[in-house]
Amino acid sequence: MSVLALKDVSYKYEGTTRVIFKDVNLTFEPGKVYTIVGKSGSGKSTLLSLLSGLDTATSGKVEIGGESLASINRNHYRRKKAGIIFQSLNLLPNATAIDNIVLSMNISGVTGIDKKARALELLEKVGISQEKANRKIVKLSGGEQQRIGIARALAHNPELIIADEPTGSLDKDTEVKVLKIFRSLAQEEGKCVIIVTHSKKVTTIADEIWGLEKGSFRQLDPSEVQAGREIIAKKGRKLV
Amino acid sequence: MYLFTNAIKNLGRNKGRNMLIAVITLAIIISTVVTLTINNAAARVVDDIRLDLGSRVSVRQDFIEMRQMGLDGRRDAQHIPLTDFVAFSESEFLRHTTFSADVLAWSDSLFAIDDPNLGEGTRVLDDGSVMNEETLRLVTISDPELLPDFGTLREIVDGRMFDGINEAVISEALAAHNDISVGDTIEIIGAYATDRMFSLTVVGIYSDATDEYLNPWITMFGLFPALNRRNEIIASFDTLLASSWETNAGLDIDFHYFLSNPDYLEAFEVEVRAMGLPFTYNVDINRAAFERVTGPLAGISSAAFTFMVVVLVLGAITLGLMSYMAVRERKYEVGVLRAMGLERGRVAIGIISEAVMIAAVCLVIGLGVGSAVAQPIANGMLSGRVAEAEAVENPGANRALFAGGQMQIGDGTAGYVPVSEIQLNLGVDIILQIIIITLGLAALTSIIGVVIITQYEPLIILRERT
Ligand SMILES: Nc1ncnc2c1ncn2[C@@H]1O[C@H](COP(=O)(O)OP(=O)(O)OP(=O)(O)O)[C@@H](O)[C@H]1O
Ligand SMILES: [Mg+2]
Repeated sequence: MSVLALKDVSYKYEGTTRVIFKDVNLTFEPGKVYTIVGKSGSGKSTLLSLLSGLDTATSGKVEIGGESLASINRNHYRRKKAGIIFQSLNLLPNATAIDNIVLSMNISGVTGIDKKARALELLEKVGISQEKANRKIVKLSGGEQQRIGIARALAHNPELIIADEPTGSLDKDTEVKVLKIFRSLAQEEGKCVIIVTHSKKVTTIADEIWGLEKGSFRQLDPSEVQAGREIIAKKGRKLV
Repeated sequence: MYLFTNAIKNLGRNKGRNMLIAVITLAIIISTVVTLTINNAAARVVDDIRLDLGSRVSVRQDFIEMRQMGLDGRRDAQHIPLTDFVAFSESEFLRHTTFSADVLAWSDSLFAIDDPNLGEGTRVLDDGSVMNEETLRLVTISDPELLPDFGTLREIVDGRMFDGINEAVISEALAAHNDISVGDTIEIIGAYATDRMFSLTVVGIYSDATDEYLNPWITMFGLFPALNRRNEIIASFDTLLASSWETNAGLDIDFHYFLSNPDYLEAFEVEVRAMGLPFTYNVDINRAAFERVTGPLAGISSAAFTFMVVVLVLGAITLGLMSYMAVRERKYEVGVLRAMGLERGRVAIGIISEAVMIAAVCLVIGLGVGSAVAQPIANGMLSGRVAEAEAVENPGANRALFAGGQMQIGDGTAGYVPVSEIQLNLGVDIILQIIIITLGLAALTSIIGVVIITQYEPLIILRERT
């Protein structure tokens, strides 16, 4: 398991003048859940594209295990190490839920297991029945689609989970279910989970909460985080 | 491997678009199969005809050409020793030569069929004098096997075919008209060389179901008994040579020099001109007949080809456009795959294999359907063209020129019918060509998309959608 770090990262969209990040230094360690909060348009999704190697910093470096993402094979990084849950989901709309997940595992080079069974198992965990698993994405609700996006990101067992607003369309019960999964991935399997969110509930499972404002990050009060985590561990449903 | 299974699934996921591509591809393949099989078969038939009719050179005095040059067919005709004609046959450009020559003749003892005059080859002129007139035709040929109509419309019914010098066969009608039987001797005189008398033993009599006159219009201007085919007296070419006939004067020579390769025509002509053949003689194949026989084939070949080019061009443009439009649709899909870490090349493999699979299915169906419909289409097209060719009044066919015992009847197309049947088959070479064309189409449909799509970074593609 390797550490993901931003070193003096600045970012500006090409052709624009606004600086989204200015000399950001952040470290994401294995076994922890990080949440990023901030106003709409503050640059949270932009940060995740840098972390997932879909975009590169204007200056500074994003490093994985000490190696700059700019110098390694970023396709390989996305296939093997990162599990990305997009804000816009990015599922193949005409393929079934299972096909979406199995295809992702195939792309990641998962071998030696029954991929369909693993897909079904993950879908069940996020509350998607077998019947829905065989439906095309377009025939599923927004919340269902979101959970399939989550299952897909976890399917190839990545060490990094990068999630953009993963619970935005979920009801409370389901949100709790999903948050438990994220929590246990960090706690029991030592994964590094990075979640961008507007939801206060999500911050309750975080080890660290970072607020993004005007191009720089500030860590928020961890006590609040600790309290929330204990509640989840004991009661689950009565969170908040 | 999963790229292919995903490609197969994708075919089903985008049924509408893929069906449309398949239909266009199928149309292209079918029309290509039809065109190529037709062209191939037509080319084969034309090649065969080229080896036969197209390699058969005649060396004849050209009366039409002479007239155009202001020369008189009779006065200005140049005569060539028969030995020269025989010498031409030694040319290295030839595979073999057949000799035949007709002699217009009369006889003091024979009555020709259709002779409106006194018979016995004489005519009383207005002033009361009597002149001889050719009413018969001595047909000589180097090999009786080459005689047209024998075995089909003509059949020896008594005696046998001529063999030695001064043996002849005549028609039943002529025999009956003159009460001749096998074993009798007949005497005829060359119309333009009155000192040459042929004394021929009739060794055979044949039934004759041919048209009496090659062309019905011949009788419109009065009867020319010498042109009535019942009045033919058929003997060997050696009979003519043995009669010490020196030149072709008074002979209607028809030597057929068969080139060993149809392309040697010019070389052969150069050679015989060098041997002294006068410019009033033509050295050529029977072009009019060749054109008449092969015309409809050439017609359907080029029609099919034009059709194929149109279908190919329109199809390629449509496929190209569809593929371009599909880019927009597929951009997102490609973005998703690329975001998951799938390399450009693999994305391309996926897209290309979809196109190849569609093409492969279309290929199998197209080859089947194409080869099934090609024959009826070819038959339909050909019969249309043949009917068209036969309906055209050919003024050249009704032209007759006589000079010094030589005649030029029609333009040489009489007796030749256009090829009206063609046997198509789907050979390996055609299948290979179709496969190449189909793969080309598949490449076209996929590569445009692949090139555009894989240029983009995944994030850009994904952003464009949201
Ligand atoms: N491709 C782009 N080109 C130029 N500007 C962009 C581009 N994408 C995003 N931006 C701008 O960059 C800023 C940060 O965008 P980003 O998507 O990271 O915000 P966000 O924090 O994720 O917002 P939200 O909470 O609404 O998802 C926004 O002002 C946005 O308008
Ligand atoms: Mg966002």
